[in-house]
Amino acid sequence: MLRLRPCLGPLKPPIPLFTLAPSRTFTHTPSLPAKPLPARLKIDDADLTVSYLKGTGPGGQKINKTNSACQIIHKPSGIVIKCQATRSRSQNEKIARSLLADRVEAREKGDQSRVALKAEAVRKKKASKVKKAKRKYRALEKGEEGDERETEEVKERVPGEDNKEGVKEVSKGSPGA
Amino acid sequence: MPRIPVSVLVKAYRRNPLLPLLLKECRSLDSARNELRWLRERALRDSRLPGRLRGSWPGWRARLRSMCLWRSRGFPLQYILGDQPFGDLEILCRRGVLIPRPETESYTVEAARLIRQALAQEEPGSPGTRSLRVLDLCTGTGCIALLLHALLASHFKDMIVLGVDLSPIALNLAQKNLDHNVDKGLLSRRASTDIHFQRADVLGRSDSSIPAVEEVLPKYFSQSGALSEPSATRCDLLISNPPYISASEFRDGTTARSVRLFEPRLALVPPATGSTEDAQDRPEDIFYRRILTLSIKLQAKVTVLECGDMTQAGRVVEMYTAMTSSHSDHSSAEIWPSTERDLAANGFHPYDGSRCVIIKRWAR
Repeated sequence: MLRLRPCLGPLKPPIPLFTLAPSRTFTHTPSLPAKPLPARLKIDDADLTVSYLKGTGPGGQKINKTNSACQIIHKPSGIVIKCQATRSRSQNEKIARSLLADRVEAREKGDQSRVALKAEAVRKKKASKVKKAKRKYRALEKGEEGDERETEEVKERVPGEDNKEGVKEVSKGSPGA
Repeated sequence: MPRIPVSVLVKAYRRNPLLPLLLKECRSLDSARNELRWLRERALRDSRLPGRLRGSWPGWRARLRSMCLWRSRGFPLQYILGDQPFGDLEILCRRGVLIPRPETESYTVEAARLIRQALAQEEPGSPGTRSLRVLDLCTGTGCIALLLHALLASHFKDMIVLGVDLSPIALNLAQKNLDHNVDKGLLSRRASTDIHFQRADVLGRSDSSIPAVEEVLPKYFSQSGALSEPSATRCDLLISNPPYISASEFRDGTTARSVRLFEPRLALVPPATGSTEDAQDRPEDIFYRRILTLSIKLQAKVTVLECGDMTQAGRVVEMYTAMTSSHSDHSSAEIWPSTERDLAANGFHPYDGSRCVIIKRWAR
């Protein structure tokens, strides 16, 4: 948890997490701020039909239903979203509204919608992770084979950006170092 | 109750061995899965609490199994989890007090809309300077009183909400709910001073030691300086979810097993009073005559009463028309929701289940 401290002199950074973890070296690559996503799509309430579904059977004191699903229909596009994630009606409605906004936006803007951009960011991150892991294990294998070699060249293919196949040359120090 | 097909039970068991237990009460796989998810979330959350609060459970799995066993016997989910969302509030639920229903949430929101509309027409001053008096009879957990405050506090400078109940357990819980929601920041700070809970008998039986509602009202609703004059006692919004189930419907299977066995009968079935005034009505309708009398006396601008079904709501409207036929009273009584759109939008069953009667009275 971050806590505001009284501003006396320069701010000290909070105790780094790695002092608590078992000793392991960390590299500090400055993380680039993520590109801001486009603003959320505002949907006109007049276009929506919000209804609460009560499962089967009547309501009132005589029975005690626990389901309070919310269903929203977006009339212009005909998209229907139903949410029963929580026990709270108002919470379900909020979730359904945001899901609907995402869905409508995805339909209107396609690749440039928030959902698509987020998915793309996640995909890139994963691709880079996989690439690094592959590189590491390939280097490890090679390192076991020949200890004398100090450096080796690994040719690796980066999963395509906009269908362009980028080829990158990576030089790697021996894993024992 | 139709038997659950073995194929469904097998399917449920394959998904999770606990699901068949929940199916006993939920009757559909969809709602059983929802309940299992909520129960598991709670069991996991509790297992992370510090030891003192966690209780004596060896682990969350054992606790979850025990919760499911309780549920399979019909014990209400809200009593197991200890709370129920109501609007944006979190209402604590304890054995002995009726659990808030989703329809109640719907008409509470509608009541808040109507009273704002009524007062805006009456005195078109700037919003935020007016005052509002709300009376909630048979308040139970206090859910209606608290939600009304949450919805209306920003529109009124002065607001008094009085919740009345006969049961001390309910009043205790209502007060706890008030404190709980203020602590969680779901209600504004002023709620603690604006909302009051008071023990009183809505039926006004003379043989009990509990005061009748009329006796406790002047303390909260009198205009300043006219404390002694009973005619000066006024209220703007009168809302109530009184007991309305008949003794036969309580027994014959119309009332769900879970409700019949575990929720308080006091909150569901009106008592037999044996008074001559009540003899003209059906025994399940006796609360309505008292509340309607009170509504006329207090000149409530909006009155909202929950009824068990369409026919009962019809009887209440009829009762009100008969009561006001003798004097010229500028008011109208109607059943809500009555259009197909309102019914669906507010989660009411299309032809069965609860309805409410809304009475609007405008100033002469």
